[in-house]
Amino acid sequence: MMGTALSRWSMSYFTAALSFLVGAQMLMVAGYGFPAMAAEAPETLVLVHMVAIGWLSLLMCGALFQFVPVLVARPLRWERLVLPAMICLLAGLTLLLAGFLQLAGVFETGISLLALAGTLLPAGFLLVVGVLGATLWGAGLPLPARFVAVGLPCVLVTAILGALFALLFSGFLPALAEIDFRTQALPVHIAMGLGGWLSFTAVGVSYRLLPMFMLSPDRERASSRAVWWGGVAALLLTALTPPIAAVLLKTGLPDATSPATVLAVLFGMACLILYGFDLAFFYRHRKRRIIELNSRAAQGAFLALALSAVLLLGLLATGTLDQHIGALLYLVAFGWLSGLGLSQLYKIVPFLTWLECYGPVMGKKPTPRVQDLVKERRGWIWFALYFLGVLAGTESLLVDQPGLFRAAAAVTLLATLAIVVELVLARRLANVPDGRRLPEGASRPRLFLPRLPLNSDKWRPQ
Amino acid sequence: MTNPDYELDVRQILREGGEPFSAIMGAVAALAPGQGLRLLATFKPIPLFHVLGSRGFESSAREIGDGDWEVIFTPAGGQSRGAVAEAEAAPDKIGAANETWPAPVAELDNRDLDPPEPMVRTLEGVEALSPGQTLAALLPREPIFLFEELKTRGHLWRGALEPEGHYRVVIRRG
Repeated sequence: MMGTALSRWSMSYFTAALSFLVGAQMLMVAGYGFPAMAAEAPETLVLVHMVAIGWLSLLMCGALFQFVPVLVARPLRWERLVLPAMICLLAGLTLLLAGFLQLAGVFETGISLLALAGTLLPAGFLLVVGVLGATLWGAGLPLPARFVAVGLPCVLVTAILGALFALLFSGFLPALAEIDFRTQALPVHIAMGLGGWLSFTAVGVSYRLLPMFMLSPDRERASSRAVWWGGVAALLLTALTPPIAAVLLKTGLPDATSPATVLAVLFGMACLILYGFDLAFFYRHRKRRIIELNSRAAQGAFLALALSAVLLLGLLATGTLDQHIGALLYLVAFGWLSGLGLSQLYKIVPFLTWLECYGPVMGKKPTPRVQDLVKERRGWIWFALYFLGVLAGTESLLVDQPGLFRAAAAVTLLATLAIVVELVLARRLANVPDGRRLPEGASRPRLFLPRLPLNSDKWRPQ
Repeated sequence: MTNPDYELDVRQILREGGEPFSAIMGAVAALAPGQGLRLLATFKPIPLFHVLGSRGFESSAREIGDGDWEVIFTPAGGQSRGAVAEAEAAPDKIGAANETWPAPVAELDNRDLDPPEPMVRTLEGVEALSPGQTLAALLPREPIFLFEELKTRGHLWRGALEPEGHYRVVIRRG
């Protein structure tokens, strides 16, 4: 039974997201796309968007539909748009991937699939932003919610730029062909997507989730507020520099792109350092001495984030950023974002399952604990394997060893599959001893669909 | 006339780090009219005296060695729990905003528990109340999942964020 406090479609978002993650990793193991092919090859674009939209964005959307109401202590607004949003995103992504395959010459149709994708994906993200924005609007926003509020415009900028690329590739908007999209708009598309939308939002959510599960003091800290301001400054600089530079170029004024980029990197680095201090504070001042696997595994993701920053600085210092951008993006996407995503799913899925199943009998009958839904002793092996695989993969990209990369990708794929199996087992209550699994009044959750009918409140016994 | 005391040993649960409250409340709910409860625990369960006292039970506790305790809960005056509950049933159903509520029968401090334990403990306390009685709980933050559950179960609550950052809620059993 679900009350309105449980986001109805989040589990469906998570399922779709995990399917894309597994699919993308299978392609990597098969040697499809980068590094066997060029970074800008359509095959690589298939891979990149399966990860960025299919896995990370759907995961983030599903998580935000659940957590934004918790962050601002009010119910999700316009909840009926959540399912249409998912349909738009899934249809748009399918068309986008098909459009890339069309570019790669895998098949031919008379229809411009990319142009269709360029309409559906922004529409889907607009619905997501509408639901979350309306929920945030007018509420006094605690700091974690302010991070989300910045992430929402970032995903719109990312989606709109993506749509422009799609139209351009399809031969529409010939007027735009003059602009050098690869050097001017593509960096913004990547920085806004991975940085503003996925990373900044994830940082914000972590400011609430970590203290909540480790019982750390979660008062707003000055350093956390500085992370927010620094991040906003870095994002604004990144987003506004190219258009301003273009105008300056036309008016014959000197180009200030490089100093602006340097400044954005400096702001970003300052944010990461302060964020590191905040994380150390949460872990050090936790009241709960023994922490659960999700909080332990998240440390792997934080380490990957720190390594990404070091790698970026190293590549900038040696002038090899262009050459090794693939390795850097792989570490950010799989080490930091996916690592954090998988580790938090390992808590969120059992937690939501527990609430859905045992909420109605809570306090009336003995119930298993949330921890009883998972077997952490098994789980930590998968997370260790996962992060080792990602590290090995990054290194093999840095030393240009595509064969080794495929082997490392196989390790992360196996670890991911094992984590997915653990999540399914948690959802199925398989780790709970038989006698305690379903006390009278508790109901077994469905694997990934909400219980019907949709107006759950009306049929709940009062 | 009366059944022998129902015996419940929660020592194993406690030693394994478990939470026996729901097992105890389940046993209390299953008692026959006039039947008492003999509880074996690894400590003197003082909070339970308040909760069961509010349901018309008298308690007597004695240490039985190795730090273990035996507590006998006897229905006051041979009354069953149900009769007491009925006698105390609140006269009105929905409380107006300015209506005075009875003083809380228990104050739970659930701030230092990891989720969802604050909600579980609070609901256990609420389920142990008689209709109309109230309970106060300190929670680490505004508990929106708890509110949802209270609404569904027909209980009333009043709450506010305290200056120290935690949330204090007073819940009245509907």
